[in-house]
Amino acid sequence: MLRIDIDKRVGDFHLRPKFEAGNELVVLFGPSGCGKSMTLQAVAGLLRPDAGRIELPGGAVAFDAATRTDLPPQRRSVGYVVQELALFPHMTARQNIEFGIAGWPATRRRARAAHLVALLGLDGLEDRRPRQMSGGQQQRVALARALAAEPSLLLLDEPFSALEAPLRAMLRREVAAVRRRLDLTALFVTHDLGEAYALGDRIAVYDAGEVLQHGPRDDVLRRPRSRRVAELLEVRNIIPGAIDAYAEGVAVVRTPWFTARVRDPEAPVRGDVYVCIRPEHIIVERTDRSRRDGGNVVIDTEIVEEVPMGNTHRLYMRAQPADADLGEPYIFEVDMPAHPYEVLGIASRRDWRIGLTAEHLSLVPRA
Amino acid sequence: MTVTAAPPADRPGVARRARLDWLFGPPALLFVAFLGVPLAALVWRAGNSGELGNNITSSLVLDSLRLSAITSTVTLLVAVMVGTPLAYLLARRDFPGKMIVDLLLDLPIVLPPTVAGVALLVALGRRGVIGQHLDAAGYDIAFTTAAVVLAQLFVSAPFYIRTAKAGFESIEPVYEGVASTLGASPLRTFVRVTLPLAWPSLVAGAILCWARALSELGATLIFAGNLRGDTQTMPLAIISAFESGASIDVPIAISVILVAAAAALLLLLRLVARGAAMRV
Repeated sequence: MLRIDIDKRVGDFHLRPKFEAGNELVVLFGPSGCGKSMTLQAVAGLLRPDAGRIELPGGAVAFDAATRTDLPPQRRSVGYVVQELALFPHMTARQNIEFGIAGWPATRRRARAAHLVALLGLDGLEDRRPRQMSGGQQQRVALARALAAEPSLLLLDEPFSALEAPLRAMLRREVAAVRRRLDLTALFVTHDLGEAYALGDRIAVYDAGEVLQHGPRDDVLRRPRSRRVAELLEVRNIIPGAIDAYAEGVAVVRTPWFTARVRDPEAPVRGDVYVCIRPEHIIVERTDRSRRDGGNVVIDTEIVEEVPMGNTHRLYMRAQPADADLGEPYIFEVDMPAHPYEVLGIASRRDWRIGLTAEHLSLVPRA
Repeated sequence: MTVTAAPPADRPGVARRARLDWLFGPPALLFVAFLGVPLAALVWRAGNSGELGNNITSSLVLDSLRLSAITSTVTLLVAVMVGTPLAYLLARRDFPGKMIVDLLLDLPIVLPPTVAGVALLVALGRRGVIGQHLDAAGYDIAFTTAAVVLAQLFVSAPFYIRTAKAGFESIEPVYEGVASTLGASPLRTFVRVTLPLAWPSLVAGAILCWARALSELGATLIFAGNLRGDTQTMPLAIISAFESGASIDVPIAISVILVAAAAALLLLLRLVARGAAMRV
């Protein structure tokens, strides 16, 4: 189990992440400058925390301020792929890969390098220098180099940020597959929510130096535990309301635009809340159809704006409050894939009914 | 075919530059001639004297050539051995007094070398601050071949250290960080990663240092004197040859050797720089 609980001040910035990871890929997700990369540096041993403890997956203590333990980077058995890759430009791909296993007997070293070359599809590139390789190839060499010494932990710092989208998607799948095959613990830093979603077994949401929430990917994405996490996860529909009643794990939440029953075991049970729902989880249906079963909240809306986003359309849909005294209209953001958009003929009319299904709603406290 | 494939003359920027040629060309040419003519004259006189071979193999020239070769090489080796760690520390570490060390390294570059000679004499001369104790212990430095090396080292090592420091600074620390996560000790990281990446700068600095040591005159004259065979390097031999009132062909012979050596070193420097550019 990788256990991180550290404290580090650099100028005004206060880094204080705390989370754990088993043999899985944990995405550190958050805006730029929130301390994700610094966390990796601390785990790798390139940044010394002021306080706290880092326990590596094998159980070895890499850092412990209490016992003044601080393993140097070369004794932490951590494979670290930095954002700029930092392939050694004066070495060939093979020399780069073998750098970390120079002390192994020659035959074993060769076999290990050959295995990694095959695993990452680098055949034929062994004698090339980094400048003679494409971005994707360099990326694979960096990964092979980090894996060569059979580390117990893999750290990946936005390794694909310089690559174009199709290559990123392919390398993401490869990284995930390689990690699973080697059964490694891995930390993957990204500020790209799509990447976090595609890769993460677990997600740790960072903001301003701390981990606001961490847990299995779907839990975190579906049930943000604070307004800030919901914002960072691009939930987009964060609707003010208040809990009316609570019984047997089901909260009845009233907002000016709708009333919903929310089954969210970890949600607050009373007081002011925000109701959160992701734009892709909102259902759009015709207003002249009969209403669906009572589990869903249905709201009549009017499209006020739409933005084509390539393979999806973002719709801005205005809902009037149930009572005009209750305030302003609310504008829902809804993402709809191109195909249903065309089949339903969204462009042909302005009035649409939206449906919010109970399992996609979550509640966060409102101060 | 793209726009960039068009002949240069079609591009307005190039055409405008061509018109400026009439304005800037003459002073430029004049200065090139000012530099080139004396050196050409030197080589031409040397070739025409018919005595070049004899002069070059005269004992005065051979003695100074041998001494210059030995002292400048020793200077270079010492500069590299002492200067490399200093350059690395200056590039990678913060320590108290770093600014003063930086300043110290610049001073010999801007000071007249004769000042360096006086300073060395005051420190290491027979009655110098340190020299008097060395003298009491039976060691004499001033006016020996060792003094030649020290004088050269004082004025030329900063050229190596400056260039090496810039070379180390240009390496992103992330390379060294990654090397350490790959299990490399600090020393192995330095030898396998830092040194090769800084290599072009180190070689360039070494060439500059060597060239400066080879041409050293003022500090040597004051701290080491002008003793044939012991402290008379080639630049000093030129002065002696003039003072002896003998033929001007001897100074010419020495000068030609120095010009050839300097040109060879500069050519080497260009090759190293181009090699470095191609590696990136």
